[in-house]
Amino acid sequence: MIRFVRLPYLLSLTLLAANPLALMLLLLAFFGSLNSLLADQATKSAVPPTQAAEPIDFNRQVRPILAKHCYACHGPDDTESGLNLTTFESATAECDSGSKAIVPNRSTDSELLARITSSDESDRMPPEGSRLSTSQIEILKTWIEQGAEFNQHWSFQPRKQVDVPEVADPSWCNNPIDRFILSKLEARDLTPAGQADKRTLIRRVYYDVLGIPPTIEEVLAFESDAKKDAYVRMVDRLLCDPRMGERWGRHWLDVVRYAETNSFERDGLKPNAWKYRDWVIRSINSDKPYDQFVTEQLAGDELDEVTIDTLTATGFYRLGIWDDEPADPLQARFDEFDDLVTVAGQGFLGLTLNCARCHDHKIDPIPQKDYYAMVAFFRDVTSYASRSDGASNNQIDVSDPSVREERARLKSEVAKLDKTMREIEQSAIVKMSAEEQRATEGPGRKRVLKEKLQVFLSDGEFATYQKWKNEREKIAKSMDSLPNQEFVLGLAKCEPTPPSTFVLVRGSPQAEGDQVAPSYVAMTQGDTSKRTEVPAFVRNSKNRLHTDAPVVGRRRALAQWITADDNWFTARTIANRLWQNHFGRGIFRSTNNLGQLGDTPTHPELLDWLANQLVEEDWSMKSIHRLILLSKAYQMSSQTTSETVLQDPANDLFSRFSMRRLSAEELRDSVLATSGDLHFQQGGKSFFPKVADEVKATQSQPGSGWGDSSESDRARRSVYIHIKRSLVPPELSVFDFPDTDTTCEARFLTTQAGQALGLLNGLFVQDQATRFSNRVLSMASSERDDQVRVAVELAYSRAATADDQKFAKHLMERFGKEHDLDATQQLRAYCLVLLNTNEFLYLD
Amino acid sequence: MARNSSLGGNSFCGRTRREFLWQSGGGFGAMALANLLDKDGFGSESSKPTTFENPLAAKVPMFAPKAKSVIFLFMYGGPSHIDTFDYKPAMIGMDNKTVEVKTFGRGGHKNQGRIVEPRWKFSQYGECGKWVSDLFPNVAQHVDDIAFLHSMTADSPIHGSAMLMMNSGKILSGSPSMGSWINYGLGSENENLPGYVVMLDPSGGPISGAKNWSSGYMPASYAGTVLRSKGAPILDLATPSGVSRELQRTLIDGINQANQNHAWSRLSNSDLAARIASYELAFQMQSSAPEAVDLGQETAATLSLYGADSPKTEDFGKRCILARRLVERGVRFIQLYSGGAHNDANWDAHGDLEKNHNLHAGATDKPIAGLLKDLKQRGLLDSTLVIWGGEFGRQPTAEYANGSGRDHNAYGFTMWMAGGGIRGGTSTGTTDELGGQAVEKPMHVKNLHATVLHQMGLDPNRLSYFYSGLEQKLVGVEHILPIHEIVS
Repeated sequence: MIRFVRLPYLLSLTLLAANPLALMLLLLAFFGSLNSLLADQATKSAVPPTQAAEPIDFNRQVRPILAKHCYACHGPDDTESGLNLTTFESATAECDSGSKAIVPNRSTDSELLARITSSDESDRMPPEGSRLSTSQIEILKTWIEQGAEFNQHWSFQPRKQVDVPEVADPSWCNNPIDRFILSKLEARDLTPAGQADKRTLIRRVYYDVLGIPPTIEEVLAFESDAKKDAYVRMVDRLLCDPRMGERWGRHWLDVVRYAETNSFERDGLKPNAWKYRDWVIRSINSDKPYDQFVTEQLAGDELDEVTIDTLTATGFYRLGIWDDEPADPLQARFDEFDDLVTVAGQGFLGLTLNCARCHDHKIDPIPQKDYYAMVAFFRDVTSYASRSDGASNNQIDVSDPSVREERARLKSEVAKLDKTMREIEQSAIVKMSAEEQRATEGPGRKRVLKEKLQVFLSDGEFATYQKWKNEREKIAKSMDSLPNQEFVLGLAKCEPTPPSTFVLVRGSPQAEGDQVAPSYVAMTQGDTSKRTEVPAFVRNSKNRLHTDAPVVGRRRALAQWITADDNWFTARTIANRLWQNHFGRGIFRSTNNLGQLGDTPTHPELLDWLANQLVEEDWSMKSIHRLILLSKAYQMSSQTTSETVLQDPANDLFSRFSMRRLSAEELRDSVLATSGDLHFQQGGKSFFPKVADEVKATQSQPGSGWGDSSESDRARRSVYIHIKRSLVPPELSVFDFPDTDTTCEARFLTTQAGQALGLLNGLFVQDQATRFSNRVLSMASSERDDQVRVAVELAYSRAATADDQKFAKHLMERFGKEHDLDATQQLRAYCLVLLNTNEFLYLD
Repeated sequence: MARNSSLGGNSFCGRTRREFLWQSGGGFGAMALANLLDKDGFGSESSKPTTFENPLAAKVPMFAPKAKSVIFLFMYGGPSHIDTFDYKPAMIGMDNKTVEVKTFGRGGHKNQGRIVEPRWKFSQYGECGKWVSDLFPNVAQHVDDIAFLHSMTADSPIHGSAMLMMNSGKILSGSPSMGSWINYGLGSENENLPGYVVMLDPSGGPISGAKNWSSGYMPASYAGTVLRSKGAPILDLATPSGVSRELQRTLIDGINQANQNHAWSRLSNSDLAARIASYELAFQMQSSAPEAVDLGQETAATLSLYGADSPKTEDFGKRCILARRLVERGVRFIQLYSGGAHNDANWDAHGDLEKNHNLHAGATDKPIAGLLKDLKQRGLLDSTLVIWGGEFGRQPTAEYANGSGRDHNAYGFTMWMAGGGIRGGTSTGTTDELGGQAVEKPMHVKNLHATVLHQMGLDPNRLSYFYSGLEQKLVGVEHILPIHEIVS
C-alpha cells in the first residue's frame, strides 16, 4: 500500500549538494514529514497486540475483522442463528442455540472464539473462505478478555457538549478556541509561538479572507493604527468585503468538482454553469446559513418558496462529467447517481458512502443497502442530457412565464417539423454513397443535403420537403422576435414518479437485488431497528414559479436530515472545512472522510465545540470565520523555537502558524495585483486566459471550445477562468489546481520544475513582468533606488530595506554588465525575479 | 511523500543515517536532524539504513522487474485486427456476403452485416510462422520478438470512453493514466527529464486531449508531459526571445539568492528549500531535454533505419528515435500517438478502409520495425516493453451499404507486446473466424495493464493509492492476473 501524504515535493538531493543551506533545509523537511507519516501509518494499519496488557481498539482492530468476515450473515441485515455482532447488547445475547457468542471477559466461554478456532470444518466460522489468521484470532480473544467493548468511532456518535478546558495561562487566550489549543500545548510543556507582526498579520488575513494581497497603503494604515481594536476592525471589514466570496466560493467549488464542460470526446459546454459559481459567491458574501446553502443545492426546486436563486443552486446536480455517448447507457445512468452520492456523501457528510456501491462498506457501518437508499433519494434526478437534446434536462427557463409558454409552443411545432423533415432526409441519405452518408453524420450534413437531397427524392417528396422547410423558417422567425430567454443550469426536468430503486448486486445494474426505499444512512451503527424513516414527502408546494412539474420531495427530505441540528456529520464536516482553509489543514486532515479510514482529529473537543457553535449561531459561517480569525491561535507567528519544531514537527498541536504557498488562483491574482492590472469585476460569464498554441495542440481540434476574451476580462480574478475539463490552463494545473472530475477535499502542494519554468518563461508572467515594470516606471523617479523601493512595495506590500536595495543593485548591475540589458530591461528582469521569489509566493 | 514498506528496505539514496548527518554539515540542521531521528525510533547507535525516499527519485520496485521502460505505440482510432495481425483465411471469398454477426460500435448494436473481406494479403514470417498482412511487412520481420494478444476486449466501443479505458483502466474520466501509476510506483530514473512523456501526432491530439495522460486524483506531477519533436520540446522550456541561457542563469541566481535570504529565518519550512531546488532542476531540464531530442546526434544509418529520411515515415520515425533516446536516458513511460484529430487523420476507418490503413500503417510500419531492431541491437529491448495497439479493433462487416469502412469493435481485437521480458513468437487468445469477438482466452484491457505493471516490477493488485475512501488501483478492485502466457 502506498499512501500519498500531502506534503511538499522534495527534489533531487544531488542538485543540492553544492548548496549546504538548501540541503540542510531539505533534510529537516524530510524528517519533519516523516514524523507525521509514521504517525499516519501507525493509525491506519491493524496492529496485532504484542502484549496482553495493551488495550485493543475496537474500531481500529476489531470492527474491520467483524465487518469483513462476519457481518454478511451476522450483521446489520442478516442475523443468522439469531446472532447479530454489531452491538454489545446483541452480540452478548443468547443465540438461537442457547449459547452466547461473546461473554465479556471470558473468552473461553465465548462461542465466537470456539467457532473461529474450531478444527471441525462443519463447525468452523467463517464457513467460506480461509480461516481467520492467528493474529486476527488473537485480537478478538484479547478484546473479549478486556471486556468486549463496542466503543464507537468518534464521528458515529452525537456531538458532545464540550466544556472549554482550563489553562494555566488564560491571559494568552482571546476566545475559547485558544483554550483548546493552549491546553494541549501546556500538557506537552510547549509554549505557543509569539504574536505575528502586523504586516504578517494583514497579509495573512487578506489572502485568507479575500485571496489577494493588501496594498502597501493598507499595510501602512494598519501598522500605524495604534488603537487596540485595529485588528478586529480590519477583520470585520474584510468579512464584509464582497471579494471574500471569490476566495471562499472557490473552496466550495473544489468540493463540488465544479467545471463548465462535460469531459469525454466532445467535452461540450455546460451552458450557464457560471451562474451556479456566482450563486456560491453570493451565498458566501451574504453569509447564507450553511443549512440553507446545503438545502438549496439539494432541493432548491422543491422548497416552499422557489426562486431563480434556489433553482440556480440545483446546478449542483449538473456539474459532473457526462458521457454523451455511453457504451452502456444503464451503467452510465448509475455512474451519474454514483457521482451524486459520492459528492453529496463526502461533501456534505464527510462519509465515503461511495465505498458501499458494490458491497457493504468494509470498515464503516454503511451497508450496501444504505448506499442504494441514498441513491433512492436522487431517483427523480434526470440524466444530465441526451445526445439529441443537450438542454431540456439541465437548462431551466427562468424568463417571464408568458413568453416562456409562447416559446414552448413554437418550439414543439419546430420539433414536429424537424422530425418530419429528418425522416425525408434519411430516406434520401440511405441511398447515397458511404462517404456521403458518413459526411451527413458530421458537420458536412448541410452541404451534402444541399447538393444531393433533391437527387435522391422524387419531385413530390422534394416539394413537400420545401414546404415544411419554409414553414419552419417562419416559426423560427417569430421565435426570434420574442424577448431573450434567460436560463440557469440546474434541475430543469425531474421524474415525477421516480422508478423503484434496488440494491445492485456487486454494483451491476443488470443484477437487481432487494428493493430499497430512501432512508438515512450510517447513523444506525448497523442496527436496522434504528434506521430512521423518511418523513412523508412534501408534495405540491406552493409558489413554484418556475417549473410546473409535481414535486417528489425526496431530496428536500434528504436536505432536512442532512441539515438537522443534531446530524452527527454535517456540522463537523463543514466546521472542519472552515478550519482547514484558515489553518492549512483540518482538525482531522481527511476532510471528506470522517469515517474510520479517515484521519483522527488532533483536537476532537475543539471540533465538536466549533460544530456546536456553528449550529448555535444558526449556521452562520461568518460567525465561525470571525471566531477563528480573532483567536490568538490564528495570530501566532509561523516562526518558533527549534525546540518546539522538534517537539511538534508536523504542527499537530498548532504550536505555531503554518506557512503556506499561495494557491494557483492567489498566485495569478497577486501577479495581476502587482502589475496593477487586476480587474475586480464581480460575477458573470467566465473568461478565457491566453493559452499557448502548444497547449491547444494537445486537443483533437486545437482551440476548440476555447474562446477569446478581452484584455480587461483576462485581468479578472482567477475564479472566473473558464474551467474546461480537457484543457486546464497550465498556470492553474501546474500549481495544483484540483482535478476537475472528482471532489477535492484539500489541494496538493507540489513543488516541481514545471512551476519554475512557467513562472520564468510562461506567456502570462512574461507579459505581466513587463506591465509590472512599466507600472514601476510610471510611479517612481528615474533613480534605481526609487524604482526598487516602488517595486518592493508593490510586490511584497512592505517598505524596501537596505538589503533589498543592495540585492537589487547587485543583480541589476549583473544584468547590465554581463547581459547588456539597458536600464528598462534591467528593471523588467528584476521585476520578473520578484514575482518568482518565495517571499512573493509564501505567506508567513 | 509516498512510503511503501512493502517495496522492501529502501535506503535513502543508499546512505545510512550516519553518512546523512555527516553530509549535512553540522549546525542546527544536523542537530535537529539527530534529534528527530531519535524521536522516530532510529536509535542513536543504529546503523540501519533509513527507510524512506525522495518521491521523485527512482523507487525500488516491489520485485525484480523485467522491464525498466515502456514505449506505448498508441494506434489511435482503432486499427483493424483482421487486416493486420489476426489472420482470417475463412473470410477469403466472403466479400459482400451478409452474415449473422453481433456487433456493437458507434452505429449501435447490430445482428447482421455485410462482410468486408480483409483487404490485404497475409504471408508467414519468422520462425514462428506468424501470418502478417502486407500492411506491416517491416514489423513482420520481428514477429519472433513479438507476443500477439488476439483476444483483447474493452468495456466500450466508443472513442471517448475507450481511450480513457485503455489509458486509465476506467471508462470515466478522473482516474490516473497508466504512465502516472508507473511514475508513482517507480519514480523517475532521470530527474532532469519528466518520467512520463507523451508525443502527439502532428495532426493533433487524440480526443479528450490531456485527459488521456492525466494524473486524475493523484498530484499533477505524475501526469504525462507532452514532448514535442519540433520547437521547444516542453512547454515554457525555451527562454523568451532576447533571453539567453546565461541570462536565464543570472535570473535564477537572483531568485535563489533572494530565496536563501528569505529561508534563513524560516528553517522549519521545507517547501522553501524544495523551491530553490526546483529552479535548479528547471535549469538542468533546459539543457537535458533539448539534448534528449537532438536528432543531430544520430547517424544517417539510424535515421534511415527508422524511415526518418523519407517524407512518408519521417514524423513517426523521428518520434520513434526520440522514444529510444528517452529510454536510454531513463524515462519510464513513453507514449507515441499514431494518428490524431478526427476521422481519417487517425485509424478510425469508417469510410475507405484501404485508404485509411494504407496511410497510417505506411507511416508507422518502418519506424516501428526500426525501433524494435535498434532497441535490440543496442541491448535495450530486453529491458524495454513495447506495446502496440489502439483503443479497440474494427468489425468484420461494413458500416455502410457501400464501401469498405468498418465500425468499432471492442468485443475482440489485437494488441501486441515485445521486449521487456515478453515471450516473442507467441500468439495468445483467438477471435471467432470473422474476428467478431474474442473466443479463446478473452483478455480484458485490465489484464494488459496488469501485465505492464508486473513486467515493471509492480504487483498490479498491490500498487494502490488511497483516495475517496478506497485503495484505488489501476486494475480496479477485483484481483486481476497478468497474462502469464506471454511472460518469459
